[in-house]
Amino acid sequence: MPDPAPRLARRLRRILVLLPYAIKHPGVSVDELARKFSVPRGELLDDLNLLFMCGLPGYGPGDLIDVSVDEDHVYVRMADYFAAPLRLTPVEALSLYAGGAAMAAMPEMEEADALRRGLAKLGRALGASDGAGATAIDVRFETGPDQHVATIRSALAESRRVRIEYFSASTGALAVRDVDPWALYAALGRWYLIGWDHLRADERMFRTDRIKSIAMLDEPAPVPDDFDPASYKGAFKARAGQPVAFFELSPRAARWFEEYYPVTEGRDLPDGWRATGLAYSSEEWLARLLLSLGEDVRAVRPASVMERVGALAAEILDVYQTA
Amino acid sequence: MRRIERLINLIAALLESDRPMTAEEIRKEIAGYEGAKPEAFRRAFERDKADLKAIGIPLETRDDLYGGSPGYTIPKSRYYLPQLDLEEDELAALRIAADALLGSGEDADTGVMKLAVGADDTPWGGVRLTWNADVAATEPVLARLYQAISDNVVVAFSYRSATSGESKQRTVEPYGILHRRGHWYVVGRDRDVDEIRTFKVGRIEGDVEAGADLFDVPGNFDVANHTVGEETTEIAVVRFSENVAWWARQAYPSPHVRPAPGGGVDVEMPAASIDALLSFALWWGTEAQIMSPPAARAALVTRLSKEVIATDA
Repeated sequence: MPDPAPRLARRLRRILVLLPYAIKHPGVSVDELARKFSVPRGELLDDLNLLFMCGLPGYGPGDLIDVSVDEDHVYVRMADYFAAPLRLTPVEALSLYAGGAAMAAMPEMEEADALRRGLAKLGRALGASDGAGATAIDVRFETGPDQHVATIRSALAESRRVRIEYFSASTGALAVRDVDPWALYAALGRWYLIGWDHLRADERMFRTDRIKSIAMLDEPAPVPDDFDPASYKGAFKARAGQPVAFFELSPRAARWFEEYYPVTEGRDLPDGWRATGLAYSSEEWLARLLLSLGEDVRAVRPASVMERVGALAAEILDVYQTA
Repeated sequence: MRRIERLINLIAALLESDRPMTAEEIRKEIAGYEGAKPEAFRRAFERDKADLKAIGIPLETRDDLYGGSPGYTIPKSRYYLPQLDLEEDELAALRIAADALLGSGEDADTGVMKLAVGADDTPWGGVRLTWNADVAATEPVLARLYQAISDNVVVAFSYRSATSGESKQRTVEPYGILHRRGHWYVVGRDRDVDEIRTFKVGRIEGDVEAGADLFDVPGNFDVANHTVGEETTEIAVVRFSENVAWWARQAYPSPHVRPAPGGGVDVEMPAASIDALLSFALWWGTEAQIMSPPAARAALVTRLSKEVIATDA
């Protein structure tokens, strides 16, 4: 991720939206502006104050922007050229469009219809002057069965615990677990349920397509205040205290691997392979991952992981030879 | 005068002036520069231009037809957001979507704010989040590509091939952008091979250079019709055990799923490559086996029969 926008750029960006808003809503209160633009009242007043000094060349009384704050009501005059906002930057437009498209893909979303209409208008405006934007962008999500996502949404809305029958890649088995849902999360083209897993007494992520069945329970399940969805990146979240395995990846595998897995370290080797550290929660999960990498992985540590890989290979081979 | 005031003055003057202003006029007339020595002015102006461009302000240079100094302008037609006539509920829905974004939430937020400038009673924020998405559009080259698509200009970039790992310079007419499985792709005509190709944005190395060459997008072009990754060449059949048959039935359309001996199911699925199919099947451990194509089945057995993973480098 690039560095956050420097302060000056962020402030200028805000002022160029705040100005048109204040011009279109004469008499808007300072507090309302502060709330809408998520900026402390003092900072907002600073923004308004610096505009006194701005305007058009000549900079006489007829050229300067006329800002007045009268009994907490804001009036901006003599700045008609700032009455319409700057168009969306590519990043603003794409982020918004992609977020909208992701949300529209969610089943039983009551806002979906309004959203689709809004996206169509936005799409037309985003493209070139001929309106090519509408077919120039496409965002798609693959989701698991619809009924699970809808149930999770209801459980989240009502803050209630759910009971899921879940196929875990870590154990390779189905298990029933009670989960306090904290968020529904779309990543790498899939939906995930994030929440407190009572079976493991830990915060966990569940792929919704691996949920066999789900039922809402009566227990209340509030979301803790310190839960931060932004701490999730990609489809995994490394947890403190997890063991780390070390191995080397072929140049081919190294290219995509770090986009998908919570790699703890990566270092290029002289022959182009990459020394990699990976946090894992179960040896079974890791063994499956390594086996699927095949010849693209070598020099795995610790040895216990390799033993599990060898045993798993023998078990799978058995399936093929008895069939 | 503070720098931010000078920047606002510069935007106001270039937006309102009925003709481009030369650097000399800017130095003399715009508050914040006046009195600056030529060298100090040049440095300050360069920095200001870069900052304005970085936040999306279309500051353009115009050559003087009579050989004089070039002029600077901000065309109104490219500065102002076109009238979108969004309804209240449409804005509110976009607001919820922006709130749910991870990674680029601030950008999407600013986007909605711009759209909502003229609206009266749009709820701004305060929505209780129940879901989040990681569709971040933060890769810097994405913005460049998107701009080039809007402007219909050819782009050049260095691209690392997924199969060979080698980088090659490409010249592309960018037609559109796709987002699939968490990744962005650009679709366009590769001028070197004269074919429409899909490029993963994450495999573009370094910067994207926009050329001056214009092109026409084919009239029937729809980016949604384009696939990402390798073309599917073969249909595979994978047998899932009784344990996970429910998953296969949920995951695949029913015409492609049929009962198999032992309580499991056989699923017909597209396979991008033997490697991809092997990876997929091995992830399921003992719960899945490849039935066809025979070559894939044989490759899997061979892989498992020998020492799969080298112990040493």
